[in-house]
Amino acid sequence: MRQFSEYKDVIQAGDLVLIWISRDNIKPVTIATGATFNTRYGSFPHDDMIGKPFGSQIAVRTRGSNKFGFVHVLQPTAELWTLSLPHRTQIVYTPDSSYIMQRMQCSPHSRVIEAGTGSGSFSHAFARTAGYVFSYEFHKMRYEQARQEFEEHDLLRDGNLAITHRDVCQDGFSIKKGDTTTFFDHEQFSGQQELAQVDANVVFLDLPAPWDAIPHLDKVISQDSKVSLCCFSPCIEQVDKTLEVLEKKGWTEVEMVEIQGRQYESRRQMVRRLDDALQRLRDVKERKQVGVERRKRMFNKLISDEEETFEERPETPKTQYNPFGKGSRVKEGDLNFQWKEVSKVEAEVKSHTSYLTFASKIVRKTRDEKLAAKAFAEVQDVVPESALPSKREKKRLLKS
Amino acid sequence: MDPIKHITYNTHVLLRLPSNNIKLCELRPNSDISLGKFGAFKTNDIIGYPFGTTFEIHYDNALEETIPGPQDAAATKNSKNKFKIPVGTLSVLESRLTANGGTNGAATGLGSEEETTPNPELQLIGNSESNKNLINVGNSIQKLSMAEIELLKKQTATGEEIINKMIEAHGSFHQKTVFSQEKYLKRKKQKFAKFFTVEYLSSSGLLQYLLDKGDTVRAMDMSEESIGMILSLGNIKSNGTYLCVDETGGLLVYALLERMFGGENTSNAVGKVIVVHENEHANLDLLKFSNYSEDFIQNHVKTVSILDYFEPPVLAEVQDAFTPLSDDQLKLMKSNKKGAYYRRLKWYNSQIDIIDWATKQHYDGLVVASTLHLSSLIPRLGERVHGSRPIVCYSQFKETVLELSHTLYSDLRFLAPTIMETRCRPFQTIRGRLHPLMTMRGGGGYVMWCHKVIPVLPSDVRTPAPLVGEPLDESEAKKQKIE
Repeated sequence: MRQFSEYKDVIQAGDLVLIWISRDNIKPVTIATGATFNTRYGSFPHDDMIGKPFGSQIAVRTRGSNKFGFVHVLQPTAELWTLSLPHRTQIVYTPDSSYIMQRMQCSPHSRVIEAGTGSGSFSHAFARTAGYVFSYEFHKMRYEQARQEFEEHDLLRDGNLAITHRDVCQDGFSIKKGDTTTFFDHEQFSGQQELAQVDANVVFLDLPAPWDAIPHLDKVISQDSKVSLCCFSPCIEQVDKTLEVLEKKGWTEVEMVEIQGRQYESRRQMVRRLDDALQRLRDVKERKQVGVERRKRMFNKLISDEEETFEERPETPKTQYNPFGKGSRVKEGDLNFQWKEVSKVEAEVKSHTSYLTFASKIVRKTRDEKLAAKAFAEVQDVVPESALPSKREKKRLLKS
Repeated sequence: MDPIKHITYNTHVLLRLPSNNIKLCELRPNSDISLGKFGAFKTNDIIGYPFGTTFEIHYDNALEETIPGPQDAAATKNSKNKFKIPVGTLSVLESRLTANGGTNGAATGLGSEEETTPNPELQLIGNSESNKNLINVGNSIQKLSMAEIELLKKQTATGEEIINKMIEAHGSFHQKTVFSQEKYLKRKKQKFAKFFTVEYLSSSGLLQYLLDKGDTVRAMDMSEESIGMILSLGNIKSNGTYLCVDETGGLLVYALLERMFGGENTSNAVGKVIVVHENEHANLDLLKFSNYSEDFIQNHVKTVSILDYFEPPVLAEVQDAFTPLSDDQLKLMKSNKKGAYYRRLKWYNSQIDIIDWATKQHYDGLVVASTLHLSSLIPRLGERVHGSRPIVCYSQFKETVLELSHTLYSDLRFLAPTIMETRCRPFQTIRGRLHPLMTMRGGGGYVMWCHKVIPVLPSDVRTPAPLVGEPLDESEAKKQKIE
């Protein structure tokens, strides 16, 4: 079974799982017989997880304090991995990556170039969707870490991803035998092939100086179909320099955009009606009146020289009317009160990730005249007006 | 020719017009395609070129062949030739920006050494440092009358010629700033230029087509960003079986199919989409534009009504009503009875399928774009989603997903419901003049994302020490979850 690419049913020893402790605490763990996963909410033996379906809640009572702690065990996906991953670099988050993939029409038909690999977050998403991913990383240590991680996540074994140690700005994207790359590790390429057929139609550049890499692309992108490019740069100056090179190198349909992703917390606000607030104040006032009147009587007694002027202080009755639970800790959503469902933007927003500069290029805007002639010949007898019936018409014909 | 890379017969493609509007059309062999005022061309002339190619329509030796313009369909009977749009010849353009003879590369401001170098066309005319002398006198500044421009168009002058004549006849063109002149040119080109770009029918393209058409409501106000989020958060892969509610008439299902199979009819991936619909028949009308074969769609898209899904046929009753025959029995059957038998067999198989989908199948994801009350829909549809698999629900309105997220929050089978909103802000992408566009489409919708989980049964909780007392109840678990 593959860790990411296959849908797994039951948790088994050797599986990479993501243990969800809370929204911002998700831990990658490899399940091993006899091992234990420790948190401050309790210790969770892996053996309790083995054999259970993915998504299971695992609960323990902590010794002594009779408390109840639990976690959820999930199968990793690219998006969950993005939330849990050990950051080696700034990563591309899902609002950006999902838009980039959608805009560049990522599908099993895509052959993707990704440079640099960075923390490998986007590589996972590309690898899930694309036909093949060529990932490049120039930092030796990060290359090694990413390679090992892709190995452990079975992305290399899935056979649609290769990572290459390379400074693409200097040395371009071509992959030869003998390079530091996983490309030729895969059996299907052993022996015969000397040079990787990259033939990319989707290019994602997350580099400090994409303008140095763009001129190298011509050699490795698809020659006979449209190629989409996205440069991911935090600074507007980088965008400006990128635009210059894109134009020089014949890239068109250039557009820069920015993605703003927001996440909302679901909250509840207590419904506190005016009438209730008035009633509460009336109640306070009424109780206050008791004391006022006592003092008044005592004063009058004093004036009229009565002997015993002191009156026993009456026990103040507890608030009778407390519609909003004042003075006690009310939990949001407490069923004794009325609540309005509201939403709130998370406390810290990612206000800027990067600018996304999109462009496209068709290297050869020509057609294969031989193939075209063949296509014409095949349809030469088709009369345009009676032309092929549409799908709907076909259906109608079939029905009648 | 690869129908995904190259323009191929009998496929639906998108044509992007000079106005940036999108036209969807089918490429029938030997036919002509009319783009209204932007001209007409022969389908055969674009076959075989890569998708994304921009063509310009020429009328060098024009007026030979004509086809009726769409706006004049009724008029053609009486005056056969009067309203016909001439069919031109095509040439390939470097890009949409180089339309009209490739002179306005600088109009984009890209790459020119001095960023303020005006368009060569404009340098000849002269311009103003500022617009202080520019007085708005309305239409009278243009000396060409409407009728004269119409005449130019009839004479099938190129867009370039018309625009040049209009600039000549413009009383205060030289008093405009370069920027304003460029904007003027761009606007006029969108009106008079005769070029188009042929694009692959992607899910984003289909959405754009709907929006251009004003079908925002049908698309449930969805944006490209939201579609991207749905597909990514839903972890859509070519090997998954997904449960789906699609009220957009097939846009969402098409997006799923494109992500799963990339337009490849020959894909041998096993993924499936089970579409649950609230009417008697599913409305996946937009799939008629897709380039998947009918067989392919039948194999990968299954539909079942909510009634059949939630109240599936009973297996025993179905089996009582019909028993499939063995091959030997079939051979003995008379041919006139065979037809009836196969119809019954089809019915039988469809009932068995429904029973499978409703009672046996575990789904790898739930993807919903529906205006049904989500708080009552999602918990029930979520029942058959496998543990650890994502649930993604789109809504045009935040309030509906908010209510849903509260409902799911108090249901232990759903982990961490989250409401997300993604907006794309496009920029004017010209060197030295980068800024966000002044207006953009509002809306785009909201997405609720959570994971299906399997809550622990109180009896399954391991007790490390022999603790006596308090049974572990659900409310305690809930409290923990909220904290």
